[in-house]
This record gives sequence, structure tokens and C-alpha cells, in this order.
Amino acid sequence: MSQGTTEKKGNLFNQEQIKLIMKSYDDWFNGLSDEDKISEGKYFTHSGITTKLLYTPADVKDIDYMKDLGFSGQPPYVRGVYPNMYRGRMFTVRQLAGLGAPEDCNLRIKYLLDHGATGVNILFDLPTIRGYNSDDPEAEGNVGHCGAAVDSIRDMDAFFKDIDLGKVSTSIVTHLPSTSVVIPGMYFALAEQRGTSLMNVAGTCQNDFIMETCVGSAPEILLPSASFRLQCDVVEWICKNVPHWNPISYNGYNLREAGTDAVAEVGIAISNAIATAEELIRRGMDIDDFAPRMSFFWDLHNDFFEEIAKCRASRKVWYKIMKERFGAKNPRSLLMRYHVQTAGVTLPATEPYNNIARSAIQGLAAVLGGGQSLHIDSYDEAYSAPTEEAALISLRSQQIIQVETGVVNTVDPLAGSYYVEHLTERMGERIMDYIKKIEDMGGLVAAVESGWLHREISGYNMKHQKAIETGEHKIVGVNYMKAEEGETTPIEVYRYPETYTRQKAKLDLLRKERSDQKVKECLNVLRDKCHSDENLYPYTLDAVKNLVTLGEIEEVFREEFGLWSFPLI
Amino acid sequence: MERKIKVVMAKLGLDIHWRGVYLVSQFLRDAGMDVVYLGNKFPEQIVEAAIEEDADIVGLSTLSGNHLTLGPKVVQLLKEKGMDRVKVFMGGVMPPADAIELEEKHGVEKVFLPDTPMETIVKAYYNSTDEQQ
Repeated sequence: MSQGTTEKKGNLFNQEQIKLIMKSYDDWFNGLSDEDKISEGKYFTHSGITTKLLYTPADVKDIDYMKDLGFSGQPPYVRGVYPNMYRGRMFTVRQLAGLGAPEDCNLRIKYLLDHGATGVNILFDLPTIRGYNSDDPEAEGNVGHCGAAVDSIRDMDAFFKDIDLGKVSTSIVTHLPSTSVVIPGMYFALAEQRGTSLMNVAGTCQNDFIMETCVGSAPEILLPSASFRLQCDVVEWICKNVPHWNPISYNGYNLREAGTDAVAEVGIAISNAIATAEELIRRGMDIDDFAPRMSFFWDLHNDFFEEIAKCRASRKVWYKIMKERFGAKNPRSLLMRYHVQTAGVTLPATEPYNNIARSAIQGLAAVLGGGQSLHIDSYDEAYSAPTEEAALISLRSQQIIQVETGVVNTVDPLAGSYYVEHLTERMGERIMDYIKKIEDMGGLVAAVESGWLHREISGYNMKHQKAIETGEHKIVGVNYMKAEEGETTPIEVYRYPETYTRQKAKLDLLRKERSDQKVKECLNVLRDKCHSDENLYPYTLDAVKNLVTLGEIEEVFREEFGLWSFPLI
Repeated sequence: MERKIKVVMAKLGLDIHWRGVYLVSQFLRDAGMDVVYLGNKFPEQIVEAAIEEDADIVGLSTLSGNHLTLGPKVVQLLKEKGMDRVKVFMGGVMPPADAIELEEKHGVEKVFLPDTPMETIVKAYYNSTDEQQ
């Protein structure tokens, strides 16, 4: 309706005014002293968008308010996914808990819930994340570190002792599809054993093949095609059986932490969603059968405005893809809902208390960007998992944002800032271009197989590290106003409880008590089904119910699907 | 031709954070060293590779809490195989007290904690081989 005319319907500003502003801006700028002018063109956002000295309506002159921004809860959802946003639905305070044995973690979960956390977010140790039992030789040195150990459904029971699975919303940070096909199944089986219908179970699991193949490291990782298949199996089965569960959280976060900028973070996550959608449609599902339950996970990094613009733009990109490309009809399919975590990678070990400030500012940006749930990192994460005290500061930081700052009282309060709107437009374009680039490579699975994504990550890291080394990228206390040797306050560092012997004892008992025959049957069926087109979820679920361990199931995957070599060096 | 310093780099055990170790590998290579990056490996495999590559230095990275169990094992195994001359460096996230323990009690040449400039690491690798000659 506005084609061919410069003054398209819905322009925010009168075109005469824009002309005047543009001319006056030029006059103003040219009238500046050379000293004042010299910096122009030398400032950039973190992802490389030029930052002007001053923004005016001329920088947002092409925005059509109703088409490009709209209202909250309405297309294209730049202003937010729900009409009343935080007034109606406060963002979920979802602090991570992951340490030691499930019994230890249960105490941390209850501690957080007792102090006002509104969701549970559980993280696993590396043997669990990568699919080994606590007593596998590969697990040595890592049991109960960086997260909690889970070997069998009994551990899931210990995790959630005294917690009603029908009442909490639980995020299960499984990272890899190969474990997402198992661990959430333990949770579902446990819910049923406790008499909670799967109709009433709510939560999210991560389930991202990029985590398995690019963010995680080889060897011992599955082929991209196998990992992607499992990812889709999880989405398909959960959408059909656990209606309030988000079966996938496209993880921009860890990819960003591994080394990408904000554009790639969102571009890759959405490309993965596109690939998933195409596969599930190929399997006979309708876009509206699963898109409403797809969720995302963003990293809230240092560049305050660019990060907010990223969040706003990502909602619009998602809307457009769902609507225009996939023809989604269910309004929920059009909503990009996401969890946010502040950027662990920005937290140095030097002068660690400064990290409280960094994380709070990032948390504020996450809320200004309109996220649905939030984890604020703790100041001591460059040393270990957070102490209880550090975790409480993070939780309190969230509550301070919620009830003291007033930023939640109105929707999308930065809208209309010439800079923020300009940046939102640019981020949207760049994300779209990035998605297109991946499509041109044959889609995300092909782009991963070719080693392209690994090269993107390592290239970014090299560039970023050089910028730190030269001082171009400044980190307070590290390469700017550098702390003197010994000046950093020593902090109390969290010590992981001894976990291995407890897990080992439980595994020994489990092996004694379960039916070996049944275990063998479950694993044999699963082995066969790996080579069929069938969804593997029912078979892994049956296995966990029969006390088959995580490590045993993963061993089947490793043997049947084969392992992939890292396409680097 | 002068023999380049040969470095074997690995991620210890199951740790997944490859950003740091890969960066250090690239910087060492740019500084003229011959670097072999193994990816995730366990102590036995790392020592095997060090022997096969006739390494001067082994660099281990871990951010996941296995530094005190697997780190000393690498040093110990090298000793058992008569490869005492190989220097072992470590880097990653760990309590500072553990870093001191690894250096003082377990024969690790040096542990680099977060925020260490690459230049410092590259220099330390170079200097450690000077001492031998």
C-alpha cells in the first residue's frame, strides 16, 4: 500500500520535518569543531554496527509504526510477546542449580525456591551432560562438578524430593539432544510414578544439536545428522505427549559464550529452528503442532543497547519467518519466547566483586529487552559454581529489578529511542542476512558438517582475544585500570561435595536390584530402532523406567550412530 | 634448520569449553611453535601422544573441576614413561589455591588462571624450554 511513494502510510514523521532535520543535522555536524567531529565513524557496537554520535528522527524515518513495531502482544511483537508483559506475567526468576549429587542439588533448589525463585533450573555435571555414568572411567574427576550427577531415574527422584512436579516449572539443562532424549524422560516417568499426569507437567529442556557438535568438543560427540535427528525426535514426541513442556530451547547462549557475536547468536539459533520445522513438517506434523512450544535462550552480553535491540529484533524476525515462510496460524507459533542468562564469559576472575555490577546491568538489559525468564550470573563464576551467598546476591538482583527499579511497570520502555529503534532495525536486517547465508550453504546441518561454524567461532575468538591483548577491547581491572598483583580480594570459593562414592554406591545397588534381562531387552530394542525411521523417545522412556542408566543408553548411541571428529586443526 | 618447540595441547577429560585452549594453541602456533591440538583426551592418551610427537611441552586446559584429579596424573605418567623433561602447563577455571597446589606439589610448571594475557603464556612456554638447554 505504500509502494512507490516515499511517504508511505504510517510513517512516524512528516517528511518535510525529516528533510529539515536531515539538513539541520548536517549543518550542526559540519559546524562542530574538528576535535568534536574526529571520533565519528570510529565507534561500533560489539557486532560491528557503526554507532553515530547522535541519533535523530531521520535515523528511524522509514519505520512504519503499526507494521514495524505495533503493540505488545501483537505482530510483529517487537514490543513484547504478551499484551500486559510484566504486569501480567512477571519474568520467571530461574536461577541455575547444579552441583554435587542430586541430594545436594535438591537442597540448593529448595534454598532458591524458599528465597523467592519462581522456577527451577537444573544443570548437570559433564559426565551427565555428555552421557556417561558416574562410574564410567571417562567420568573421573568430573562427577558432581559444574553441575549435578544423574545416572538413573532414582537420581531424578532425589533431585525433586519434596517438590511437587505438578506445581513447579522446571528447566532441565540437558544441552545435547542425545541426553535430552533420556533425562527429561526420567522426569516424565517420575511424574507419572508420583501420580502427576503429563498433562500437568511444565518446563523446558535444552536439546540443541549445535551444543552437541559445535559448542561441546570432540571426540566423543555424535555426527551432526544423528544429533539433529535426536533433537527432532525429542521435539516431536514431547509436543505430542507433554503439552506444557518446551521440548527445545535453541541455545544462542552457549554458542555466544563459545565465541560469536549477537547477530550470529540469534541467526544460528533461528536457523536451527527453521531446520527443525522443516524436518517435523516432513515427518507429517503441522507447523502449529510444535512452533508454539519452541523456545530460545539468549546471552545478555555487555553492549547494553545492542543486546536490547537484539532481543527486540529477534521477536520480529521469528514472527516474519513463522508467518511468511511457514504460514503459521496459531498466534502462539508467532511468539518468540526466551530465557536469558547474563554473560558468564564477561566475568573475569580479577576483582570478582565487580561482577555483581556487570551482571546486574546485564540483567536490567534482559528485562528491558522483554525476556520471559532470567538467570543472573554470580560474581564467583570465574572460580567455581556459585556459593550459596553468591547465588543469593544473583537472586536478589533479580528481585531488585522487579520491585525497586520500576522498569517492569510499562511495556518496552526504551521503544521510541531513535538509537534503540535504529539499532533494532539494523539487528533485524543482519540477523535475516545471516540466516540467508546459512540457507545458501544448504541449511544449518550442512553448515556444521562443513566445519564452517567451527571456523566462525574460532575466527571470532581470535579477533576478540587480539582486541583484548591490544587494549582495544577494555575490561575493567584486567587490561584497563589493571589491578595490581595481589590486589584482588580473595573470595570464598565453592567446594564441590564429594559425589563419586555416593553415586557409585547408588549405581551398585541399582544394578543389583534391577532385572538384567529387562535392561538387555530395552537396550537391544533401542539399538535396532537407531537404524529405523521411528522416533526413539518411547524406547528411551521405556528404558529409563526399567532402570537402564543414562550411560548405557548413550553407549548405544555412540556405537550405533558413530562419533564425529572435530573439523578443526 | 632449528627444531621448533613441539607442544601437545589437550582438553582434560570431558570438559567442553574449547575456546581457551584453541586460542592458546593458535597463539603458540603464531609464535612459531609446532602445536598439536588433541581435543578432549584422558591422561593416558595425552601422554601417549606426547611420546609419539616427541613433545617438549604438554598444555592442559580444564574449566570443569577435574584439575586436581587428572592434572597430576599427566605429570606422574610422563615421569613413569621417562618423559620427565616434558613441561606441563595448565590453564582454566579453578580456585587459586588449587593452582598453587598443582605448581608446588604436583610438578605442574605453571597454571594460568583466567585473564592471563596470551603474551604471558607464550613467553612462559618459550622460557620453559630455554631452561633445559
